[in-house]
Amino acid sequence: MSNYFSKFNHFISNFLDGVDKGENYKHFRLMLYGAMFIIFFVPLLLATGLSSLEHKKLLAVREQEQLKASVEGAQKTIGAFIHELRSVVRFVSREYSYEELLDQNNASELFAHLKNQYPGFVDFGVIGPSGIQKVYAGPFRLEGYDYSEQDWYTKVLVRQLYISDVFMGYRKLPHFVIAVSNKLPGKEEYWVLRLSIDYETLQNYVVTVSTSAIQDIFLVNNKGLLQTRSNIFGEILEPCPFYTHYKQGETIANVDEYKGIKYLRSYVQINDSPWMVVMLKESYMHGENWSSFRFRLRMIFFGCTVLALVVIVQLVNTITNRLREADEKQNQALTEAQFTNKFASIGRLAAGVAHEINNPLAIIDQKAGLMTDLLEFSEEFDHKGKLTKSVESILDAVQRCKVITHRLLGFARRMDVTFEHIDISDLLREVLGFLEQEALYNRIRFELSFAENLPMVFSDRGQLQQIFLNIINNAIDAIGKDGLITLSADLYDEENIDVNIQDTGPGMSSEIVKRIFDPFFTTKELGKGTGLGLSITYGLAQKLGGNITVESKVGEGTIFTVRLPINDTRKEGNFNE
Amino acid sequence: MSEIKVLIVDDEVEFAEALAERLELRGFQLETVDCGRDGLAALSTGALPDVILLDLKMPDMSGFEVLVEVKEKHPSIEVIMLTGHGAVSGGIDSMERGAFDFIMKPVDLDELMEKIKLAYDKRGSTG
Repeated sequence: MSNYFSKFNHFISNFLDGVDKGENYKHFRLMLYGAMFIIFFVPLLLATGLSSLEHKKLLAVREQEQLKASVEGAQKTIGAFIHELRSVVRFVSREYSYEELLDQNNASELFAHLKNQYPGFVDFGVIGPSGIQKVYAGPFRLEGYDYSEQDWYTKVLVRQLYISDVFMGYRKLPHFVIAVSNKLPGKEEYWVLRLSIDYETLQNYVVTVSTSAIQDIFLVNNKGLLQTRSNIFGEILEPCPFYTHYKQGETIANVDEYKGIKYLRSYVQINDSPWMVVMLKESYMHGENWSSFRFRLRMIFFGCTVLALVVIVQLVNTITNRLREADEKQNQALTEAQFTNKFASIGRLAAGVAHEINNPLAIIDQKAGLMTDLLEFSEEFDHKGKLTKSVESILDAVQRCKVITHRLLGFARRMDVTFEHIDISDLLREVLGFLEQEALYNRIRFELSFAENLPMVFSDRGQLQQIFLNIINNAIDAIGKDGLITLSADLYDEENIDVNIQDTGPGMSSEIVKRIFDPFFTTKELGKGTGLGLSITYGLAQKLGGNITVESKVGEGTIFTVRLPINDTRKEGNFNE
Repeated sequence: MSEIKVLIVDDEVEFAEALAERLELRGFQLETVDCGRDGLAALSTGALPDVILLDLKMPDMSGFEVLVEVKEKHPSIEVIMLTGHGAVSGGIDSMERGAFDFIMKPVDLDELMEKIKLAYDKRGSTG
């Protein structure tokens, strides 16, 4: 971790030192993307994942609890029915003696009475101590049948009261038996009262407790055979794959899959019966609602991620661009300072040279003057005219030299930043003086139109000179050969003066105009322009409290407008920022 | 008009001599010296000049020093300073110390003569 941290620090310090900048912006951008994505994505993922898991857990628990409550309700209802049957059998065996029941008439009457109360009763039988059915009341002819070998008979002798599983028996119809054994008075022998109940009765009870919320409800015996019909597993007495041994009294709820569908399953033993009631419900967790919930959750997550990505990209771009702009500004300022320094050095050098030349020039001037004087006062002699003309030529040349040295000295003097009151029209004429020769060679004319009574501008002469020199020089370059440069100056408002420099050059497209003041942007051939001239010019105008705007049309030419404050409110001391 | 006596003090001998000769041709009475000390010495012997053309930059004594001494000893003599181009501030400083005017090199002869005459007139009116 600390290793990564030191790498990060190293990177940042390298970045700030400006090592390999172009590549660094790319890395910085990537790093920001990564960091911001992690900062956003990890918490979102955790929040979404955890809330989804918790929600799922909670829903699962609630669903199981609900199903358990339903299955326990069913257990109670069916249990109550069984309890009632047991009570009826017990009552009959207590109220009627063996002898009374052996009377077929009594038995038939009792059965008719019972059937009236409980239509589910199929038949009624009294079985003697030997296991032979002595009396039978019901639709089948089963008197004299021997039950001694039947499973339920053995069990009822042991348990006194017994409820059988659903089975086919002698009738070949599904039913179950509830039987009770009673001791013969004074003997160690037992007689048995047996009632058969149609399984449909059981089935009807099960259907009654069923609801639309569940997919299946059925009874199963402890051998795993269906005791009522199942919607999923088939008809009665077929084996049920869900059968599980379990502890008495416990309600189980779990999830299992059958034929590709996940079911929530709950089951519980019905008290005093051989049956378990089983309920199956399609699990919500695996159903359509849950899927649609998850789908919505994923869509929200996806939406948030997309939104965050857009914001991150926007943010990272803004940050990186701001950083780049700040860097570029710094670079520009640095380059500008270097350029200005260089300019100042050249100025000082020029001043030195001009000063040194000035003295010999004064001598030539006076000597030539003296020669003219002498020639004037002397008599005619051979070549006097030619000599006079030559001396005049010398004086002309000296005059030209004087103009040059004066300009150089003036220019150098203006390298130092000093605010003074300046007549803009004079200044512009002075600047044109430097460019006249070049313009002449290229057959470019200058037209001047200055408003009358222009106020003096409180500004820096050298800087203004440099601004106009650069712009007019560019205009000459743009025109190439044959053209017109119009210089005009007028009041913009009470506080500012506008100087327009209009050329008849080829003009520029709006794309170029947009970038014209960018540092290192040039339309000149490679090696001919540094792309700094206008950038520096713009910076200078801003330093002087003014600005520069450009209007250009391809094929028509370009107008540069330099707006200057008449009184720069910033004092000299604030100038060197 | 009697001849105006002019003393040129300039280390550039060639310049001073040519200028002197041209002024002489135009009716001035000229004397030249090539340093400040000689200039001051010239004032203690013989007739005093009316106007001194004094170079600002000289190796032994600066024009300022010579000017101050001249004005101290001979306040009636008018001094016109010769300065290099652009040294306006030097010229203005000189005028504050008593110089009549200044003129920048290379010198325009007509302008110089004008200034000499004005200086002489001033001298005449005050002295």
